[in-house]
Amino acid sequence: MSINTLKMTRGICTLLFGVAVLLFFGRVYPHHLHYQEQFQLFIFDSTYVWEIIKLPGGVADLLGRFCTQFFLFAWVGALIISVLLSAVQLLTLRLASWGRLYGLSFVPSCLLWLFLLDENALLGGVWAVLLSLLAGWAFDHLPWTPTQGTQAACLRKTSQDGCPRTLGGWTRPILLIIAVPLLYWIAGPVCILFFLLQAPKRLSWYYGLFILLALLPVLLSFYLPIPADKLWFGIHYHRYPTVIPVLLWVAVLSIFVLTLIARALHRWANASNNYMTLLSFVVVAIGMAFFVSKKTNFKAEKVMQYDFMARHQQWNRILDTVNAEKPNNPIGVTVQNLALGMHGLLPDHLFEYNQNGILGLFPDVERDATSPLPTAEVFYQLGMINVAQRTVFEAQEAILDFQKSARCYKRLAQTNLINGDYEVARKYLMALQKTLFYSDWANETLSLLGNEEAIAKHPEYGRLRQFAYKDDFYFSDHTTSQMLQSLFLSNTDNRLAYEYLLAYCLLTGDRETYYQFTSIKQ
Amino acid sequence: MKRHIRAYFQFLVAVTLLFSSCAYHPDVPASSKEANCLPTIFPDYCNVTVPCNIAPLNFMLPASEYSECVARITTPDGKQQTYGAGVKVQIPDDEWHAMLNDAKGKSIKVEVWGKTTGAEHGNVKSEWLSFCPFEIFVAEEPIDEYLSYRLIEPSYVAWNFMEIAQRNITSFKETQIFNNKTTCIDREKGQCINCHSYQNYKTDNMLFHVRISNAGTVIVNDGKVSKVNLKRDYTISSGVYPAWHPTAKLIAFSTDKTRQGFHTLNPNKIEVYDMESDLILYDVATDSVMVVSNDSTLLEVYPTWSPDGKYLYYCKSVPLPEELRDKDIRSYYQKIQYNIYRRTFDLATRGFGEEELVYDAASQDMSATLPRISPDGHYLLFAQGHYGCFHIWHREANIVCMPLDDEAPSDIDLTKLNSEGFPDSYPSWSSNGHWIMCASRRNDNNYSRVYFSYFHNGKAEKAFLLPQEDPEHHTFLLKSYNRPEFMIEPVHISLNEFSQVFQ
Repeated sequence: MSINTLKMTRGICTLLFGVAVLLFFGRVYPHHLHYQEQFQLFIFDSTYVWEIIKLPGGVADLLGRFCTQFFLFAWVGALIISVLLSAVQLLTLRLASWGRLYGLSFVPSCLLWLFLLDENALLGGVWAVLLSLLAGWAFDHLPWTPTQGTQAACLRKTSQDGCPRTLGGWTRPILLIIAVPLLYWIAGPVCILFFLLQAPKRLSWYYGLFILLALLPVLLSFYLPIPADKLWFGIHYHRYPTVIPVLLWVAVLSIFVLTLIARALHRWANASNNYMTLLSFVVVAIGMAFFVSKKTNFKAEKVMQYDFMARHQQWNRILDTVNAEKPNNPIGVTVQNLALGMHGLLPDHLFEYNQNGILGLFPDVERDATSPLPTAEVFYQLGMINVAQRTVFEAQEAILDFQKSARCYKRLAQTNLINGDYEVARKYLMALQKTLFYSDWANETLSLLGNEEAIAKHPEYGRLRQFAYKDDFYFSDHTTSQMLQSLFLSNTDNRLAYEYLLAYCLLTGDRETYYQFTSIKQ
Repeated sequence: MKRHIRAYFQFLVAVTLLFSSCAYHPDVPASSKEANCLPTIFPDYCNVTVPCNIAPLNFMLPASEYSECVARITTPDGKQQTYGAGVKVQIPDDEWHAMLNDAKGKSIKVEVWGKTTGAEHGNVKSEWLSFCPFEIFVAEEPIDEYLSYRLIEPSYVAWNFMEIAQRNITSFKETQIFNNKTTCIDREKGQCINCHSYQNYKTDNMLFHVRISNAGTVIVNDGKVSKVNLKRDYTISSGVYPAWHPTAKLIAFSTDKTRQGFHTLNPNKIEVYDMESDLILYDVATDSVMVVSNDSTLLEVYPTWSPDGKYLYYCKSVPLPEELRDKDIRSYYQKIQYNIYRRTFDLATRGFGEEELVYDAASQDMSATLPRISPDGHYLLFAQGHYGCFHIWHREANIVCMPLDDEAPSDIDLTKLNSEGFPDSYPSWSSNGHWIMCASRRNDNNYSRVYFSYFHNGKAEKAFLLPQEDPEHHTFLLKSYNRPEFMIEPVHISLNEFSQVFQ
C-alpha cells in the first residue's frame, strides 16, 4: 500500500467513524442531546462568560456550553460531537507511528463516545481533552531547532520524519512551566495529558512540572471556593458535582498509554503488511459497536422523547408514538394522557392505554430537574398557571450543576406574562434575548408585555388566562379532585380540565363526582 | 443583531475606558428640545438624599426609548463635568467621591439630556431632549461602609446556588462570605445557608446557619470560628432568627416550625408561616440554651435587642378564637396577626421581666414583624402587613416607624420610603441611626432590592436603590437581596476558613 493510499484509507476510516457518530447521535440518541440543551442557558454576556472562564477548565467548559446550545437541533449537535471525536482521533494519530496498531488511535475517541452516552456527561470534558491535544500539536509545531545527540533522550518521535526533536537552552522548560497554569486554567486537570505526552525520557527537571501541576490544585484550594477534589478531577466535566467522570479519565489515560505502546512497538507495528492497519480498525470498530450498544440507554432515550414531544406540544406525534408502543414509564404515561386530553380523547380511551393511577395524570413532583417538567406541562395546559410556575421553578432549581435552563426561562416568562407579572417576565425575556436560538421568541414576546388586548387575542395566553382559577386556595403537593373541580367550575369551557376531572374520577372510582360533572357539562 | 453589535461596541468602549482609567466626558448637545419633566432614569435618583460616602449613583435612560444619554453634574462650587456612554451614565469612583466631598451638607445639580431613538416616537429623525434638572442632596452623615445580604432566587421549596455576600457601599466591590456549594456533601439534598447576623454592626462576633447537608450554626466568637448545634430536646428546632446581645456573648433566637403554602390565585403567590415558634437565649461561651418564651398556643418570633441590651423586643401572635385551634392553619392563616412586645433583661442574672405590649398592630387589623430599635433607642422600626409574619411576600406590606419615648406615639410619615402596592420589609438602622435600609420588591414585585432612606429629626427622605456599577445590574439580576444587614467593617474570615469548621 503506497503512502497516498494509506493516507486515503486512514481518511476514509476517520470519515466512517465520524459518520457513525453522527448517525448515532442524530438517529439513535437525538433526545439525549435535547435533554442536554434544556439544562443550560448559554447567554452572550460578558458576566456570564467571565463566571465560567474564571475557573480552572473554564475555557473548555465555555466551549462545551457554547456547542451544547446547538443541541436544540439534534443533527447539528450530532455533527458537532462527530467533528470533536474525529478531531481527537486525528490528534491521537499524530502522536505516534501506529502502523498495524492504527485502530488503537480510535480507542480514546470511542471512550469519549461512551462517556457522552451518559446524559449528564458534559461536552466540556471532551473539549478539555481536545484542547490538551491541540496544545500538544501547537507546541510541536513551534519552530524548534533540531539538534543532534539528544534524540535518544526523547521518547516522543514525530511521525513525519522519524527524527526526534528537542530544544536546546531554556526555551522549552520555560514554556512548559508557563503552560502548567495556563493549560490548567484552559482545560482543567485533564491537561495532565499534555505534560505526559511532552515528557522526555531522562530529564529529571521534568518531574518538577508534575509536582507543580499537582501543587496547583492544592494552592488553588486555598483561594477558590471549590472543594479540593473538584480541583483534582475537574470542576465541570460532569453535571453531578460528586461524580468523578471515570470514562473521561480512562480516555485521557488511554491516549498516553496507547501512544507509549505504539512507540514501544514502533518497529513491529510498522514492519510489514499495511492491510493489518485496516484490520485493526475493523477490530476496534466491532469492539466499539459492542460497547456502545451495551451502554446505550434506550429506555432513557424513550422517556426523553416523550418529554421532548410534550415540550414542543407535538400531540399528534405523541399519539402515533403511544399507538405504536404503549409507554410503561411514568413520564410516558403522563405525556400520553396529556396528548389524549388535548385531543379530547382522555376519558373515553383512558383504559386502552397503560395507566399509573392518578399519578399517570399528575405525577408527584420530585426534587429533580427532569421529572417535574412534563408534569408542569400538564399544569400549564390545564390553566393551573401558578402551579405550573412553581413546578418549572423547582425543576430549574434542582439542576445539579447550578445552571439555568432556557426551557424553564421560557416557561417562567410565559407564566408570569399570563399572570400579568410583566416586569418579572421581562427579566426572563431579557436573558433569553441574549441567547442564540431563543432571542427571536423573546423579542416577539416582549412586545406582548402590558398589551392586554394582544394577550387576550393570543391563542395560547389568552385561552389560559380565561382558564384561571376564580377562587384562591393553597394548592397541595398532590393534585386533588377538588382542585380540578374548582378549575373546571372557574370556566366550564376548559375542556382539558373537564377531561382530567373525569379521568381522575375514573381512576379513583369516584362515580358520584363523575356523574355530577358529566351532567353539569351536558 | 444590530442591538448585539451595539451592545458589544458599548462593552468594548467601557472596557477600554476602564483600562485606560479615564472617563468619557461627552459634550452637552448643542441644541435640544425641552421635555419639561424629570428624566425617567433608572434607578430613580432624582432629588434623593445620599450619604457623603456612597458609591457613584450610576443611572441610565430606558434603552427602548433613548439611544444616548448625557448628564452634566454641577457641584456647589460651580465645577461641572459631563458623563454618558450610550444610555448609561457611569461616573468614576474618584471623580464622584471628590464631588461628594465638595457637596457635603449641600447638593449636586444634575442635568440630563436624552437622545430619542426616533422610530419609537414615530419620527424619522431622533432628537435630543433636555429634562428638568434635579438635585442630589449630600448628607453630612456617612452610611456604614459595608452591607451583607444573601443572594437567592425568590424560591418555593427547592433552591439552587445561594451565597451570603458583602458589599462595600462606598464602592462596588462585592465579595462572597459563604456559599452553599463549597461544603455541601449531598448535592441532591442541597444545602441552605441563611440568617447572617452581627453583634453591634461588627464582624468579629457573627453567625449564620447552614441547613440540610452538613448542617449547623457557624458562630464567630472574637474571630474564632466554630460550628454548633443549637437544637435541644426541649426546643422546637435549632435557632432560626437571631439577635446578638449588644454587649454580651448572648444570642436570642426564635425556634420555629416553618411551613409554606402556595396560592392558586392570590398574587402574593407564597405564604411562609410558623406552625409553632418560641424564643431561646444561647450563651456562646457555655454553649447552653435557655428558653425565654414558649407559650404553646402563641407564636413568638423575631427577637431584637434594645441598643443598651436592657430590653428584648419580639413579635407575638394574638390569641385566636378557640374554634380555630384544631383546624388546618392554612384555613385561618390570614387571621394570624402579630403585635410587638418587650421584656426587660438583667444581664447579671440572665433574667427576663414581665412582658409589655409595645405596639398593638392587631387592634388596627394589622400584623407587625421584624422590629428594630434605632441606635439612640428613640425609634422603633418594623414591617407591617395585614397578616402573618413573612411580609416580603405581601404586596401591602410597608415599613413603619414610631417614637418610643412619646406617651401617645403616632407613626412617623414614611411615605417617601415605602412603595405603593409592593412588599417593603426587613427594615434596619445604620449604626449612626441616620440611614434606614429595607428590602423592597417595588421594581418588579418579585425580586427584593436594597433601598436606603435618610432619617433626620424624625423625618425620612425619598428612598434610593443600592447603586451598582452597571445601572442595568438590578434589571438583569434574577436574585433577591435577602436579609440586608449593615456592617461597619467587612467579614475578614475567608470562605475557606469558614469551610474548615465543616471538616
